[in-house]
Amino acid sequence: MFSAHSGNILCSPSPPFFLRCLPFPSSVMLDAMSHFLDRLTSFFHGKPRLTPAELQAAFRGHYKEFRALLTANNNALELMAEMEQALGPGHPFGMTFVRGNCTALSVNIYKMIQHLTRLADGRYAELDQPFRAITKQLEQVIASRSVSTEGATILSMAEVDAGSVDQVGEKMANLGEVRNRVGLRTPDGFVITASAARKFIEANALQVEINRRLKGLDLDNLEALYTVSAGIQSLISNAPLPAELEEAILAHHHQLDTDPQTELLVALRSSALGEDSSNVSFAGQYRTQLNVSREFVGQAYKEIVAGKYKSQAIVYRQQRGYRNQDVQMCVGCLRMVDGAISGVMYSRAPDDPRSPFVIIQAAPGLASTVVDGSGATELFRVSRTAPHPILHRQAAQEIADSRLSLTDTQAAELAAIGVRLEDHFGTPQDIEWSIDRSGLLYILQSRPLGHSASGEGQDNSISGHRVPQIRERGLPAIHQVCGQADDKGDAVPCDRLPLLAGGVCASQGVGCGPVFTVRSSLDLLRFPKGAVLVIETPYPDWASLLNRAVAVVSETGQMAAHLATVAREFGIPAIFGLNQALATLENGSLITVDATAGKVYAGKIESLLALAAPRPNLMTGSPVYKILTQALVHITPLNLTDPTSPFFRADGCRTMHDLTRFCHEKAVVEMFTFGERYGFDDKAAKQLVVENSPAQWWVIDLDDGFTPDFNPESRYVHLGHITSVPMQAIWQGMMAFPWAGPPPVSLGGLGSIIFQSTRNPSLDPAVRSAMTAKNYFLISRNFCNLSVRLGYHFALVEANLGEFLTENYVSFQFKGGAADENRRLLRIRLIREILSAFGFRVEQKVDAMTARIEKKPGPYLLERLRILGYLLIHTRQIDMVMADEGMAATYREKIMADLHTLLDTPTEG
Amino acid sequence: MSEFSILVVDDEEEFVTTLVQRLRKRGWAGEGVLSGGAAIARIAARDFSVVLLDMRLPDMDGGQVLQEIKKIRPASRVVILTGHASASEGEEGIRNGAFDYLLKPVEFETLLEKLQAAKDCSQ
Repeated sequence: MFSAHSGNILCSPSPPFFLRCLPFPSSVMLDAMSHFLDRLTSFFHGKPRLTPAELQAAFRGHYKEFRALLTANNNALELMAEMEQALGPGHPFGMTFVRGNCTALSVNIYKMIQHLTRLADGRYAELDQPFRAITKQLEQVIASRSVSTEGATILSMAEVDAGSVDQVGEKMANLGEVRNRVGLRTPDGFVITASAARKFIEANALQVEINRRLKGLDLDNLEALYTVSAGIQSLISNAPLPAELEEAILAHHHQLDTDPQTELLVALRSSALGEDSSNVSFAGQYRTQLNVSREFVGQAYKEIVAGKYKSQAIVYRQQRGYRNQDVQMCVGCLRMVDGAISGVMYSRAPDDPRSPFVIIQAAPGLASTVVDGSGATELFRVSRTAPHPILHRQAAQEIADSRLSLTDTQAAELAAIGVRLEDHFGTPQDIEWSIDRSGLLYILQSRPLGHSASGEGQDNSISGHRVPQIRERGLPAIHQVCGQADDKGDAVPCDRLPLLAGGVCASQGVGCGPVFTVRSSLDLLRFPKGAVLVIETPYPDWASLLNRAVAVVSETGQMAAHLATVAREFGIPAIFGLNQALATLENGSLITVDATAGKVYAGKIESLLALAAPRPNLMTGSPVYKILTQALVHITPLNLTDPTSPFFRADGCRTMHDLTRFCHEKAVVEMFTFGERYGFDDKAAKQLVVENSPAQWWVIDLDDGFTPDFNPESRYVHLGHITSVPMQAIWQGMMAFPWAGPPPVSLGGLGSIIFQSTRNPSLDPAVRSAMTAKNYFLISRNFCNLSVRLGYHFALVEANLGEFLTENYVSFQFKGGAADENRRLLRIRLIREILSAFGFRVEQKVDAMTARIEKKPGPYLLERLRILGYLLIHTRQIDMVMADEGMAATYREKIMADLHTLLDTPTEG
Repeated sequence: MSEFSILVVDDEEEFVTTLVQRLRKRGWAGEGVLSGGAAIARIAARDFSVVLLDMRLPDMDGGQVLQEIKKIRPASRVVILTGHASASEGEEGIRNGAFDYLLKPVEFETLLEKLQAAKDCSQ
């Protein structure tokens, strides 16, 4: 019997991978139980009649199975909730999480099936089929691989356009598009493709070793992070290039070398495949090497490929849900532009996709000073309409040499290009450019203007009015440049005087924490979690601290800096260009940074923090996120909602949630029918002796739920004999206030009740089974399972208060009602709001609701049980009168008042 | 000291060779050694303005080498450049007179900035 069917799953030829190496402990107790029951059933043929002692022993055995099943059910639900929560903001996760949770989930559901089949004397073994089918589907989702790249190892820039993205990465594909399709000047050069990087890594068999070093790396341990990162990079940088690849690189380099008079210098730029996609900027995460001469091209190439494992890139990928294999490092090798003046241009204001002007930032020399965050820049607002007049010019004081400034003609030329590139790519662009000493304009990069910079997908409304994403302050005229002169951004005035004010809002928001100044690599290693990062210059290297910092304050830099881009993506408030920050802010002192208003205050300012927008979900759309989403398709949807439906069957289970629901439901039924099967019948259930109760209550003692002096022959039980702590709490809640009786029903309400009853057979009292007609408490000292059918709704309360917090839970399921859907929904919403207010995690599916609280201490859960007890009695049938929101509000007020009285009242055992 | 010169101490030969070449290309005189012993011998023989010192050497601990260097040439500027990130080791280095603490791999341009800072400081 037990042994035969329980082997059904375990002994199948090839167990799913989740179950390999996971021995399922066979319990000695269970074997003993199975022998015992074997004996009983064979002895009695059919319905065995057991002595009360034997019955109790059998019951205990079943109860143990039942409890074990509940524990597994609880674990499974928790794992599912955790996975669903992970899709929300603020929960970066990797494949380890997805794989680990799926495995744990499968193991727990497997256990549930095992316990159920034991509980049901071998029935339900057919659950093996859907279980296997679902785990197989999950396996396929989790094992999905990135597309491998094949093709030429090198492509000339003349051959590259947007269609080459899988070989050259997005940065170079866009640049190729600018050059070959738009027809603008870009530096000559070539791209060393993704396929080249793969060949290089494969030729040296590095991937296994890299994965080994990354495995189990704790990203919160900065020392380990930097050490592993350095080790991997050194591994790659020191590995020899395949001879064929090195020759090809040098041959292409030679073709660029057209001027024998001067030495050819190139810039090597990383162009990660996956970079700049899905609004992921990977800004400044990877390396660029400038002024590289021929003999170092090979080495520089290897270092850029190695840069895939820079510490900030590892952190960034993890935060945004990219696996290492999702990113391939392509490298552009471009002739250096001898930049006289360079900079960045936004084809629209970053906070206003309809602005009629472009924004240009310019600085003498190379563009890198603008995006590195170092160096002062000149800022222009130039009309998007020909002849593109300069609308505003804001010169940095440091740029005194007017010869190095942008001329009107150049500004107009740039603006025209900005508009042209936006038209070509169909979306506002963020463009890097450089003008060489002979006056030729080069485009170095063009990519979509960052989504967080444009405010897309984020809720910008604070206190009901729109707050622009990016704003510059400190320099009064800059408001005009960005078109924000009328909005100072002080959504909530703060009566305190700020320590500092001004600067540029590099990333909006409010953050509070202790100051931690970072001047060196040593400071970086010591940076504590939750501190405010205070720096002199926003170098891209500090990006590895952005998952630890609550805010950033920098003395220099502006919004085009890479660090600003990453801060915006991560939703970390940042003020750049804030003079005197290092001198004013003392290490360790607590400050509140209001980046939106450009102010820094001493201490913690709750009123400002209350305005802080929730962190954006960094992982949306990433490969790991997609895998989890796909996995959840096989996990969370609940198809088996109605146990009375003919489709509530093992072969109807299509998800893990269905399996848990099915097992749980059947386990409860098995516990109920145990008595019937073993001649327990009515003697097992004792009627509770109560006065003034609107219904009949029956109690089944599962183990130690009655006091020792209770006479087992009695058909009745008094409250005084009940030792079950959770049952007592529920009862106290139920009886705390007298029930007002059924509410008066309006004619319309009655009509709809009758109509609903005729339409919905599950509501028809005539088809109610014997099991649902009475209300049953299944109890032990620490456990209570109450199923209630009061009026037309069905509710299930279950609680376990164990020795360990992890075992503790209260769950509540609620379904149905007699009135039309609108009324039922109003009631469900009312109950949902109340339960949420008391800390329940509530899920609602149409008119069915589940609410749970886990891992809380006993006293806390007992309070919740009293609340549930109250709600069971006092919300019944109110759907019939829940005609409108006003009525709902009245009920809510009364209920909340009662509940607060109930919880303040000392309770009597 | 007539010329501003750099000694690179690191057991990774390829790293040392490439770095010294790159430095020369950008106008910085330098040479490299692969062990702590060799570094101390070289520094005893001649003065270097800046020593780039790895902390993991085959024969000696980088901290020891640092102390020896400071004994022989108290004025020389030692910049720790390590792949083994350790805040306590870094703090000890700074206490023992290191000029700066850098983590590998350092961007070449950043390294040049640090060397320039060391040079400015020694003038």
